[in-house]
Amino acid sequence: MNQALNVKVTEEQRDCYQEISNVAMGQAADLLARLLHVHVILPIPVVNLLEVNELRMALSGIESSNSVSGVCQGFIGNGISGEALLIFNDASFNDISKLLKYGGELDTSLELELLMDTANILIGACLRGIAEQLDVVFSQGHPIVLGQHVNLNDLVQANNYRWSKTLAIEINYKIEGFDINCDLLLLFAEDSIDSLNEKVNFLLED
Amino acid sequence: MSNTSADDFKEMHALMSMLQNLDVGLVILDRNYHIQLWNSFMESHSGKYPYEVKGKSIFTEFPEINEEWFRHKAESVFLLNNRAFTTWEQRPYLFKFKNYRPITGKAEFMFQNSTLIPLGSADGNVERIGIIIYDVTDIAVNRVELKSVNDELKRLSRTDKLTQLYNRGYWEECLDKEFKRCKRTGSTSSMLMFDIDHFKKVNDAYGHPTGDEVIKTTANILRETMRETDIAGRYGGEEYVVILINANAEQAFNFAERLRERIAKTVVHHLDFSVNYTVSLGICEISDKIVNHSQWIEMSDQGLYRSKEAGRNTSTIYT
Amino acid sequence: MATKVLICDDSNFARKQMARSLPDGWEVDITFAGNGEEALQAIKAGQGEVVFLDLTMPVMDGFETLENIKVNDMNALVIVVSGDIQPEARQRVKNLGAIDFIKKPINKAKAELILKEYGIL
Repeated sequence: MNQALNVKVTEEQRDCYQEISNVAMGQAADLLARLLHVHVILPIPVVNLLEVNELRMALSGIESSNSVSGVCQGFIGNGISGEALLIFNDASFNDISKLLKYGGELDTSLELELLMDTANILIGACLRGIAEQLDVVFSQGHPIVLGQHVNLNDLVQANNYRWSKTLAIEINYKIEGFDINCDLLLLFAEDSIDSLNEKVNFLLED
Repeated sequence: MSNTSADDFKEMHALMSMLQNLDVGLVILDRNYHIQLWNSFMESHSGKYPYEVKGKSIFTEFPEINEEWFRHKAESVFLLNNRAFTTWEQRPYLFKFKNYRPITGKAEFMFQNSTLIPLGSADGNVERIGIIIYDVTDIAVNRVELKSVNDELKRLSRTDKLTQLYNRGYWEECLDKEFKRCKRTGSTSSMLMFDIDHFKKVNDAYGHPTGDEVIKTTANILRETMRETDIAGRYGGEEYVVILINANAEQAFNFAERLRERIAKTVVHHLDFSVNYTVSLGICEISDKIVNHSQWIEMSDQGLYRSKEAGRNTSTIYT
Repeated sequence: MATKVLICDDSNFARKQMARSLPDGWEVDITFAGNGEEALQAIKAGQGEVVFLDLTMPVMDGFETLENIKVNDMNALVIVVSGDIQPEARQRVKNLGAIDFIKKPINKAKAELILKEYGIL
């Protein structure tokens, strides 16, 4: 039975998600900054409750005409589950390879290393930051390569989604002085939103 | 009190034997990459007992591990107290383990995913890391097979069966792309269209099997004569087309003449027949007058028509 | 007399969290601001002896706000409370005249420690 869940996020809750994401992405950026010796420009995270078929709209930081590469990683814990997507504008790889100091030609396999290294840091640290604040623990599945050098629409629309709604948090990272642009998207499953809201209400109350 | 600690001990014991029997590899490394823990999965697949590897450097015990690469990943786990994941798509394996299923195993070695976990002390410093090794051979092999099947299907859908040149549909797609590339970048390319003179007579005189042999031989000569970057297709029954990338009309004409002479010298031996034949060719360089790829084809066809008018076994540049 | 405390953050939740983290028994008169512009107005109006300032905000961010306070020589002890914990952000705000930097999320212990350290409490 696929009953439509009547999930809602109030303005107060949305604000709280935004602030929690803000703190978590700051922690992730700090790790990246320390690893690469750079300054990461932090955006204001965008929190939206949206229809899964509008997912494309959540990726506002990347233009649809760009060639992109991406990985995704599932997470679950305390009745909350979802997926993290990290999507890179392919034009970024030139500069990332300079920063991560891998030797050798920039080819598809080196790009994959760079993608995985960045995903490990940004997804891992962001999820940990959010989990700590909500007082939950997430276990992470193994990351999966969604595609390399593909059109953004092909990357996010290839699947038949089982959920209809998702709580999406978009964080668009840029690195000062470099042409690096990536979008981290945290998507919480529809049936997790009630549990999430409870956790957030607890924070809002005390 | 003593009862509880006995229960705890039992539970711990049960947990340890579960870990030993887990069908994933578990390894713990200290800050110097020396092996501290080695479960039975690792023992079974490597053939090395825990006492043999304990306290030894993972890099000396397992020279197949790319040290620079692995340190790169592991150092970020030590420094940032953050997990890292590697997938078989990056490197097929961390530890080179033979595929142990003799009948249904399709790969020579075990494909592996791995997770590196920081193991901290109370003060938050990471002193050791845990490695979990997953056997993903089946997934990897299926994915690789699926890709090769898809690649083969793609190739078949683009290829003309008799000549193994591109078929008309795919070749036209290529021409359209090249047309747009030239317009965008201002480069010059040419196209060549040719057909076999009096092919109907070949068929009538020697039969269709010999006619097919002539068509195949022509394709082979074309393949041997053209550059690797050129794109050749079978356009119709005895009609061929070639995109000569970055060639102007003069260069394309030289190519056409070389091809024409080679074919004219060739004798096809099939069954008891020996067939000598010629081709007529038309060349057209891209220009501002041409507005789309279909027009490019038409103009090359005009060149070919003029060669026929001029008595065949000739190349003509359409201007 | 109550200390005039200004809390500036674009998040309502973060403002509340900050207010809740102020030490019990500290006599304060709290004003809230949602961005740098509002904060500057409040400081001008004498509402910001001690300012808790966020960095990432719309309209006017924390860096710009600090610059304005510095250039106009406004009288305010600014403590930056931010999720941006990169070394460079820390250095930048100190150069711009902030007395210290607190990592988000804020809590009572962190707030009290810093207020005592600077003799505000």
